[in-house]
Amino acid sequence: MIDRVIKARRPGPLRRLHPKPGLLAACAAVSFLLFCRLLACTPASAQDTPPRRILTIGYVEIAGDPRYAPVMGEDRILLKTRAHPYAGAEVSIDDAQALRRVLPVDFALARISVASAEEVAPAVVQALERRDIHLFLIDAPAAAFAPLAAAVRGRDALLFNVSAADDTLRRELCAPELIHTFPSLAMSMDALAQFLAARKWGNVIVLEGPLPADAQAAGAFERSAKKFGAHVVAHERFKPGTDPRERDQNNPTLLTALNRDYDAVFVADDAFDFAREVPYRTQRPRPVVGSIDLAPVAWHWTWEHNGAPQVQARFQARAGGRHMEGADWAAWIAVKMIVQAALRTRATDVRPLRDFILGGAFDGDKGVAVSVRPWDHQLRQAMLLASPYAVVASAPVEGALHRLDDLDTLGDDAPETPCHLEK
Amino acid sequence: MSEILAPSAALVRRACAAVLLLALAAPAAAKDTGLIFVSNEKTNNLTVIDSRTYKVIGDIKTSRRPRDMHFSADHSKLYVACGDDDVIDIIDVATRKVVGRLATGPSPETFAIDEVRRRIYVANEEGSSLSIIDIDQNIIVHEVPTGGEPEGVLVSDDGKTVYVTSEVGDVVHRIDAAAGHVDDDVVVGTRPRRFAATADGRELWVSSELSGEVDIIDRQRFAVVGRVEFLPPGMRKSDVTPVGLVMTRDGRTAYVTLGHAAHLAVVDVASRKVLSYILVGKRAWGVALSRDEKTLYVANGFGDDITVVDTASRKAVISIAVGRVPWGIVVDD
Repeated sequence: MIDRVIKARRPGPLRRLHPKPGLLAACAAVSFLLFCRLLACTPASAQDTPPRRILTIGYVEIAGDPRYAPVMGEDRILLKTRAHPYAGAEVSIDDAQALRRVLPVDFALARISVASAEEVAPAVVQALERRDIHLFLIDAPAAAFAPLAAAVRGRDALLFNVSAADDTLRRELCAPELIHTFPSLAMSMDALAQFLAARKWGNVIVLEGPLPADAQAAGAFERSAKKFGAHVVAHERFKPGTDPRERDQNNPTLLTALNRDYDAVFVADDAFDFAREVPYRTQRPRPVVGSIDLAPVAWHWTWEHNGAPQVQARFQARAGGRHMEGADWAAWIAVKMIVQAALRTRATDVRPLRDFILGGAFDGDKGVAVSVRPWDHQLRQAMLLASPYAVVASAPVEGALHRLDDLDTLGDDAPETPCHLEK
Repeated sequence: MSEILAPSAALVRRACAAVLLLALAAPAAAKDTGLIFVSNEKTNNLTVIDSRTYKVIGDIKTSRRPRDMHFSADHSKLYVACGDDDVIDIIDVATRKVVGRLATGPSPETFAIDEVRRRIYVANEEGSSLSIIDIDQNIIVHEVPTGGEPEGVLVSDDGKTVYVTSEVGDVVHRIDAAAGHVDDDVVVGTRPRRFAATADGRELWVSSELSGEVDIIDRQRFAVVGRVEFLPPGMRKSDVTPVGLVMTRDGRTAYVTLGHAAHLAVVDVASRKVLSYILVGKRAWGVALSRDEKTLYVANGFGDDITVVDTASRKAVISIAVGRVPWGIVVDD
């Protein structure tokens, strides 16, 4: 287990808080401290100010997590690189620097890297027991969560899921220790279906790939389509490859050659290599949505409202120029929720922080404030429908109305879910 | 530290590089033109409207993304912060032309002017700092680090104190203008945006956009002592996103724009009670009062228009189409 604590670094500008005192002043300060040390005394001011507390947040990830492996085309062309959303958490720690004078708490991240999904639960328990860490960002695939929830049950721990979209975590697992800041698959697909319905592009072909993730996405899309009055006119399973004998399964033109008309093509292809070949190869000139072209995301670097460009700029400076993505946002908001809870409750213990986080509303730089759904602990939030270089729309789309909160038109609403943590 | 510190060499170089000298021609008298100026974030211009006829009479091309605007004391100049070019444009009100530019930090949004000390205090949204600009020398004389996304700026009447909101930090900074550093902070609601000071100088009202409230700060104690919450009929709390606020000169009435709730709230300052809600346009932000305080102008960011409100009847009179994403309004009357 690689394990290192990264203390909150002071961002550049704050170092200039008391501008250059000059060499003399610095020397004087140093000599004064030395003098004090000799006399075994402390400066008077140090006794007056309350001691600063440190609130350490664990960040648990899996080294070599395949979800962050480069995306390859035909195993040889590098299409996309991916990265753990750790920098998102760091930006929130940077942002908390502005509170130094009003809040005597320093926030720190402890990055804990394990070798496999099975090691996530023991690592969290160890940090809980030996290092007194009670708040964790969990950057792991869905498989890690059931053992993790079982391991921390009954302990003072609060875990933020920052990168797993799997609906079963919100439905069947239904763990009170978890808060999902990353949007569920159901939320993403609802956002997409709302958009298609609003544009009156309601007749859709679904192309589903061979991976379990593809089946999940296609299934979630079918449910969302039904919910918002879109219609799946055909559901085809593709088989990536170049075998001419299987061209009816690997050729986008043949797969979309229907007598019936359709408005859009939905592609579920986690591996991406097939999806990249679909635009412009459909039988009819129709837009492609899902794994490519128009994708529902928690964050997009081109979103220009609600202070998003500033968050994006701070993130890019922190992450070496990389664009901020959905999981980065989920990590950023998770730490921001913890910081806000500490600021508003003046506590550093997990229980009061948890109570505040479950009841509060937070500024996610996506317009309407975000908050935790009491039934399944999913963070309700706006979704962005983004093409590679622009946000085309945000969801809930105009006209998607809910009797209490329009954000609850995205994902599992209370009457729809089997999970009822509020009871 | 009692003096404003010398700027770093880099800052001076940067400022000098961006300098365009002010036009030397004597400014024509430009007072009381009766013109309304609206800054349009997305069309990089100001729409100019005649307040007597409500007709658009022209526009002024500016640097990119014009937002906050303030007149010089004699109204001969209009200063416009332009977020995407890191400058404040100086417009000659009589000729309606850009005649100079002041360099700022990254992405200037709102600012305040101290005419006595010839200083402009501008919040740099992206730089997380407040630039203190010497207007005559056109240099940034000092840069004060702030919390993330600083926005609202207010300078006290005596020029000694500057208040700045940090949207990310949910705090209001109190800055010692002479020393050039933050001397205290106060925590307010979520995403604090703009200020108004009460006429008696005792209170500072701050709009907190995402908690849907105005927080009231006692300036002496520098602590939150009250709060005004809003809920126009038929709207949801989550739609209530207050941003702009102005007060009448007698200090009795405050007007607050409620953003996505598409209303303007009328607030009795003494009792801190909402007296009325007036329907305006989509994402109402910028707000300005005419000199006689009979008319209010509201910029509707997502409506691409402004709403003119009669303060006596508390009714919208007319909407006027302007450029894309109008941000702020000032009136030369």
